[in-house]
Amino acid sequence: MSGLILKEVSKSFAGKTAVDRISLTLDRPGVYGLLGTNGAGKTTTIRMLLGIISKDSGEITWNGHPVDRKTVNFGYLPEERGVYPKVKIINQLMYFAELKGMNKTTALESIRHWAKRLKVEEYLNMPAEKLSKGNQQKIQFMTAVIHNPDLIVLDEPFSGLDPVNTDIIKNIIIDLVHDQKYIIMSAHQMSVIEEFCTNILILNRGKTVLKGNLKDIKSTYPANRLLLDVKEPIEQYLPKNKFKIENEKDNQYSIKLTSEQEAHDLLRELVSHNVDIEKFEIMKPTLNDIFIEKVEA
Amino acid sequence: MRDILTVIKFTMRDMLTRKSFIISTIIILVLIVLGFNVPNILKAFGGEDFGTQTVLISDQDQVFDHQLEVLQNAETGYKIELESLGYEEIQTKLEDGDINAAILIEKTDDGAKIRYIVENAATTAGLPESLDTALSTLYTSIQINKLGLTDKQLASLVPNFEYTLEQTQEEVVSGNIFVMMLMSVVLFYAIYFCAFQVSSSITTEKTSKIMETLVTSTSPRTIVLGKTIGIGIVGLIQMLIFLIVAVLSAYLFLGTEVLSSVLDLSHITISLGLITILYFILGYFAYAFGYALTGSTVSKPEDIQSANTPIAILAMVGFYLAYFTMTDPTGDLNIFASLFPFSSPFCMPFRVMMGLASGWDLALSIIILVATILVVAHIAIKIYSNAIFNYGSKMSLGEILKAYKQK
Repeated sequence: MSGLILKEVSKSFAGKTAVDRISLTLDRPGVYGLLGTNGAGKTTTIRMLLGIISKDSGEITWNGHPVDRKTVNFGYLPEERGVYPKVKIINQLMYFAELKGMNKTTALESIRHWAKRLKVEEYLNMPAEKLSKGNQQKIQFMTAVIHNPDLIVLDEPFSGLDPVNTDIIKNIIIDLVHDQKYIIMSAHQMSVIEEFCTNILILNRGKTVLKGNLKDIKSTYPANRLLLDVKEPIEQYLPKNKFKIENEKDNQYSIKLTSEQEAHDLLRELVSHNVDIEKFEIMKPTLNDIFIEKVEA
Repeated sequence: MRDILTVIKFTMRDMLTRKSFIISTIIILVLIVLGFNVPNILKAFGGEDFGTQTVLISDQDQVFDHQLEVLQNAETGYKIELESLGYEEIQTKLEDGDINAAILIEKTDDGAKIRYIVENAATTAGLPESLDTALSTLYTSIQINKLGLTDKQLASLVPNFEYTLEQTQEEVVSGNIFVMMLMSVVLFYAIYFCAFQVSSSITTEKTSKIMETLVTSTSPRTIVLGKTIGIGIVGLIQMLIFLIVAVLSAYLFLGTEVLSSVLDLSHITISLGLITILYFILGYFAYAFGYALTGSTVSKPEDIQSANTPIAILAMVGFYLAYFTMTDPTGDLNIFASLFPFSSPFCMPFRVMMGLASGWDLALSIIILVATILVVAHIAIKIYSNAIFNYGSKMSLGEILKAYKQK
């Protein structure tokens, strides 16, 4: 079987279960989202699948073989960002490229290519300590992709990045998927996961609380929100015991629903009172809603 | 193998380009050159050659019957000037710096009074022994000549003793103890400070949070070995540069007398040089892996010192065990020091130099040292691998043992 498979993988620290029988399959190129609250076991799962820490039980395979640094060409952006503060960027990138088996010429070409894409060319001959945190993070991202890996693991790739740099990394991830790369991504920003991931796994206290195709998951959830943009205030048509207004600004309403029928009833009510409606949209729950519901359950 | 070379290369480049390393190397080189130039510097400031001070002898009463010229050719270690001067004139010459000291000889009823005059007596113990002996011998000779003895009688008065030095033990001890002790100190500092760099390098990687990226790029064993070898090569090169500069400085700036007496290098052969380098390398690895172990147990630079204390104590015990037992090289303690792996690097090369170590002794010492290196390296790599995510406080002994037992 091709791709990455985790089967019933567990890990405990000092008798406390950090990851409990987690299973996932990434059998085609794309981005797999790993979600969870702080301490849910995401990073432990990533460290186990890369062999940084040993698993207590279960099986982790890549293309049918146990995952091993020597046999799997993977790239990794850890959550704990790190650079050699006193070493020139080009030297540390060369170091990691050579450790990943690249020869000098290819490594240098790749460094130039990625430095241009990430807009850090001007910093290549500077020691890392002179770079901003965002630029240091981009350098770390380079070490994860410089050797053209097949499997890429990105632990919180967008944390601490400004919108411009977030956009740069987003575009690179899209291109990596086009290049048939397998990507495991852990992130707190649900919008990012929704943007990239076809499959997700939500962890809570080491246990899998939700797993599967994101579109399928969302389709199983009934509509739970109504977005309304009207010309006048409509509070008088929204009995408090029936509707919960989540947000209201300049007569734009976000209303929590318990069923889709409620929205249709409200629409009829508004039309009957000649309320001028600019927007009426019944929404499915966002990943954020699903996530909160699952981890708070 | 390729990965180890990459880690070695990176470690060496990192060490060699560090400002602290460059500055400390330059400072030590300058101190070495300055150290060997102390006599020349003193000469430049004092105006006279250090060690050949000028002593004026004034014998106005002719106690020595005009025969004091003999002293000018005698090996007293001083430049002798003869002039018939009074106390005031001598005082002027001393104050002007023309002479360093003066001997004023005055006749008395039952012999002579020898007045040794210096500008400030605080730093002078009295009339130097060589001058005292030379004056006494000359005076005795003059007085004997006055007795009109025959040559045979005269010859019988002069002691004709043959002095030899023998020992009851069978081992033949040779070599210059000063050179041995100096080299022991040099070896200790070279090994200790190079090895210390390993722990600092490992902790710095933990502080900068680069470990996780590093251990997914190559194995912990490759990192520890590559780092240790890289720092060791730089240390060895640095030590060789210091030695070359020291030897060149000695030949360029020291007098031949000092070279032949104090720094007698005649016992340093090529094989001894190779044995010394071998012990430097093995001693370095024994301590470096120890420091790799302690460096793995902390993640903050401020904790390095306390984590390294056990290795520092071991190094001190090892060094002093070797150093102090050198005065009794045939004693059991010195033999023990040459076999105990944490003192043998500072001891065995000198037992070889003294001709006290047999081939078997040497082989046994090296086997014990290599076995120790393998054990310490195994433990260090295991702790390093399992303590990668130990961010925060220093690991306790219990945690270290747990990390060792971990898969």
